[in-house]
Amino acid sequence: MIVADLSRPELERRLAGPGLRLRTGPVVAQIRSPLGAVADGVALHYAAHPIEGNDGFADFFVRVDRPRNLRRWLHPQAMFHIDGEAPFTPLPLDQAFPLLEWGLNWCISAHCHQYLIFHAAVVERSGRALILPAPPGSGKSTLCAGLIHRGWRLLSDELALIDPATSRAIPLARPVSLKNRSIDVIRAFAPAAVLSRPVRDTTKGTVAHMQAPPDSVRRAAEFASPAWIVMPRYEAGATAALTPLPKARAFMEMVNSGFNYSVHGRNGFEALARVVDRCECHTFAYGDLEEAAALFDALATTS
Amino acid sequence: MTCRAWSGEIVVFNQETGSTHLLDAFAGTVLRRLMAAECGASVEELATALAHGQDAVEQQESQQAVTAVLAEFARLGVAHADAS
Repeated sequence: MIVADLSRPELERRLAGPGLRLRTGPVVAQIRSPLGAVADGVALHYAAHPIEGNDGFADFFVRVDRPRNLRRWLHPQAMFHIDGEAPFTPLPLDQAFPLLEWGLNWCISAHCHQYLIFHAAVVERSGRALILPAPPGSGKSTLCAGLIHRGWRLLSDELALIDPATSRAIPLARPVSLKNRSIDVIRAFAPAAVLSRPVRDTTKGTVAHMQAPPDSVRRAAEFASPAWIVMPRYEAGATAALTPLPKARAFMEMVNSGFNYSVHGRNGFEALARVVDRCECHTFAYGDLEEAAALFDALATTS
Repeated sequence: MTCRAWSGEIVVFNQETGSTHLLDAFAGTVLRRLMAAECGASVEELATALAHGQDAVEQQESQQAVTAVLAEFARLGVAHADAS
């Protein structure tokens, strides 16, 4: 069963009551929330995701609701809970769905240590994974959103999961987080993209989430072999160009993008070395998304 | 200590500290010689092995370079000077 199989009243009933056990790739999160904004976001962005029975296993038990304080009436807020604890400060109520997304990211990056986890987007073509590690503001999500509308499969926008035993990239197809100008860039680049209503004045500026393509969600069991590590950087007016990046430096860039690299110790070092061994490594500057997509199309077909 | 080399540059994982370091080709060569020498090596031995030539100036430059690399290794906890 997938989320779209539930009627809206049934979705709301589960979220407000016993919880919705949502599977995203290898992770099952039980989500509870009485908030309409969360139900809207789940209905829009997770329509194609499988749901599990409430008698099965869940990795995380999360809840997004309104804190019980005076602000409840003056400036309504939303608060994220995991296992009854609230690790973050509350945010304005209209940020409830982004808060759920950020909270789920945190749950996975802080707990799923069976994987090496990097702050990177991952897309796939012909079984080969393109890993895009980059700091915030680099244009990583914009590039990722663009590529998945030009023939690449989404594995993840935010968290690259690598199985240390096999060095393969594990799909975690969830909504793509777009910020500020990239929202309009993607609207123009891919008019068919399904975006949520932009939420303004978040700590990241204006945020809108883009639905993961249903095909990427359905293919969650198809792992991919890393073939490229590319560090993207948006530069206004730049011609799209790849520049070779020495592997040792690419290795260190991955280390610096790691959420839990240090947790894995020597095994993590050796697993990451195997990934770098098999990858072409580049930096990538781009100023135009069509140019960027064409360049990666050529990369996928020629290398 | 575990290391991997690509095109001259080396990344090193220090199991004692859990840290990972990027070394340039020269520092990587110094480290590999240290790791290969069961009882360690003196600055002079390393400098002689790594000098580009045999004259006194080149030997001195090599010794200065090795000394600087070893100081960096000590700071990073990669290798330590032996008082003996």
